[in-house]
Amino acid sequence: MEARPALSIQRSGASQLSNLGVSGGLSSSLSIPSTHLEGTYQKLPDIQQVPSERELTTRPQVHATRVPTNNGVVGHIFSSSSGLSSDLHYSSVLPNEKHSRNSPFISQSPADTASLPLSQSSSSLLPQPTIPSCCNKENSGSWCTDPDFLDFPVSTPVQSGQVENIQRSEDFSKQNDWQEWADQLITCDDALTSNWNELLVDNVTNLEPKMACQVAKPCTTMPTQNQQLPSPSVENLRVVNPSSSANNAPAKPRMRWTPELHEAFVEAVNQLGGSERATPKGVLKLMKVDGLTIYHVKSHLQKYRTARYRPESSEGSSEKKLTSMEEISSLDLKTGMGITEALRLQMEVQKRLHEQLEIQRNLQLRIEEQGRYLQMMFEKQKSGLDKLKVSSSNPENPAATSDATKEAPTKSELESSQRDHLDSGTGTVNNAKSMLERSSREMGGEDMATEAGDLEKTKARVSETSPELAAKRSRIEE
Amino acid sequence: MKFGKRLKQQIEESLPAWRDKFLSYKELKKLVRLISSAESCVEYGKADVEAEFVHLLNNEIDKFNVFFMEQEEDFIIRHKELQQRIKRVIETWGPNGTKPSEAEYKDEMAKIRKDIVNFHGEMVLLVNYSNINYTGSLAKILKKYDKRTGGLLRLPFIQKVLQQPFFITDLVSKLVKECENTIDEVFPVEQEDEEEIVKEQREAITVAGKGIFRNTVAALLSMQEIRRGSSTYGHFSLPPMDLPDSDLIHSFQLNSPIPIV
Repeated sequence: MEARPALSIQRSGASQLSNLGVSGGLSSSLSIPSTHLEGTYQKLPDIQQVPSERELTTRPQVHATRVPTNNGVVGHIFSSSSGLSSDLHYSSVLPNEKHSRNSPFISQSPADTASLPLSQSSSSLLPQPTIPSCCNKENSGSWCTDPDFLDFPVSTPVQSGQVENIQRSEDFSKQNDWQEWADQLITCDDALTSNWNELLVDNVTNLEPKMACQVAKPCTTMPTQNQQLPSPSVENLRVVNPSSSANNAPAKPRMRWTPELHEAFVEAVNQLGGSERATPKGVLKLMKVDGLTIYHVKSHLQKYRTARYRPESSEGSSEKKLTSMEEISSLDLKTGMGITEALRLQMEVQKRLHEQLEIQRNLQLRIEEQGRYLQMMFEKQKSGLDKLKVSSSNPENPAATSDATKEAPTKSELESSQRDHLDSGTGTVNNAKSMLERSSREMGGEDMATEAGDLEKTKARVSETSPELAAKRSRIEE
Repeated sequence: MKFGKRLKQQIEESLPAWRDKFLSYKELKKLVRLISSAESCVEYGKADVEAEFVHLLNNEIDKFNVFFMEQEEDFIIRHKELQQRIKRVIETWGPNGTKPSEAEYKDEMAKIRKDIVNFHGEMVLLVNYSNINYTGSLAKILKKYDKRTGGLLRLPFIQKVLQQPFFITDLVSKLVKECENTIDEVFPVEQEDEEEIVKEQREAITVAGKGIFRNTVAALLSMQEIRRGSSTYGHFSLPPMDLPDSDLIHSFQLNSPIPIV
């Protein structure tokens, strides 16, 4: 693959640049390539078509700007999951580190740059930006795995290294349109620290700048992937699990498919003459979705074919295994009713289960939310105690209480639909209340206790709401 | 121990292909026990065991994610296919179709109906799967861990879990709803006469659907059981379930060979 030759080019060039101060260098070197930007930018659309096997590293910015075209896909990516993991902890630390660690960067950058053969100067095009795959990986909930960035033994904030690298490669690439990227870089730079927490908390709303920032997001937790980079196997990029301790060899590409993506897939397949005639490569080309690899397409195509040509068996396979003598004996109940009735009954039960599952899930989310919130409050309280007790905690409390009560009703209304008996309900409330009060007393915060008490009072109050109302509410939420 | 048993039961009753995709609760529990006894043992070191525990948990989570997403992908494909199939049937054999034939139409529709209902069931079971692994297992085992070791692993870890693909079942839920809508549209509630359908066919269809139906019932009941009462009620616990038609659902168990307690 062209990665290697490009890499060597990079290295040599990088060393020259290593003298540039990072922060100072940024703006100055960014301005250099601006003239070159125009030319190659138009080439990018072509680049995207190139099969992903030739995936080198990324032009994060490129991708960032191209993101809007795939909004449907990427948007979903972000909305569906933001595979948080311990990686996030790293990333939250990094922005701070960045500013204090400029010099170490420079020395490491030669290595850094190696991983970013971005400036495919003349020849190599960047087929498929890795970053987008990184972003696409959001589908799978994985933030971090971008081995490309990790091709250097860096434990330091990659993103700043990234920025540097990008900057360096910009100098090389005579044909790349870095203007827009440069702008983004600069904004990204400033935005990095501030955006970081936002990134952590909410799903990306503003794609472009954030994409660029996220691009820089270091996957520092993947040291073991360093060696794997050279093989351009896209699979490396798709490590799904943010939870993975980063030691799993990322040979399992995992992509989270969405209906929209599937629609695009089907269209592409149809254009190519049907599922039998379509080839993964062709489909991939037609789909023009960043971050999609041929492996994904291949496996998906296989599933698609199976589903089409054996519609009954694919659905019935799991069920037929269950047919046994014992099963038949319990048939009596159903056969007596007639098919439609039976199906309708089955449907009802299924719906019921689904309903309950949703309710339960909401409950769980709320519980965790409150747990987190309370935890935070405890900590605040604790620190507040060291300082002025009254003045620091008072302003917090009203706000906190209102928040608490806002959250509490939601949760309690859901809960109330679950409570058959007021006894058990009160029992829970009392339990929780006493627990809260106990822990808050440990903290020594009287205010917390009152607040917790308020929380519980609200809960108890709301749980007296009529069940119908609550049920209605959960339906609405569905 | 009770929970472990219940979990095992539920796993037994789930679709065969899924059985090993659930959380290895037993193993993790063993580890937790090991941890608490290892605490006194200096050499082992609490940090190591914790690391091991976390590592295991992460592997489990990986397992869930992979499985879940595979299933999800399948569902997406099948969902689309069903829709297309319905369209095709309506267009060919429907009253306004190219070759209107009521018999064929009804026939195909019946098949589709069965398929859709089962498809719906499977999806719901997948959501249930996700839920079991979360509540029943992760939350539970983490709670045990914290209790035994006095650690604070639970809160941050759970936060992480909440973000995992397997827990975010929105897409599948959406498909489920769409399925329901489709069913309501295509099969409006009306009195159909069943005489035309061959008895064997009926039996075959019912049996085929039985697996999923049984699992669904089992899942509902298990859920109710799990939430019935807990010895350790904290503010992280789920309140008892409010299951309408609980009696009706219980009655489905009458003929079941496997007693569900």
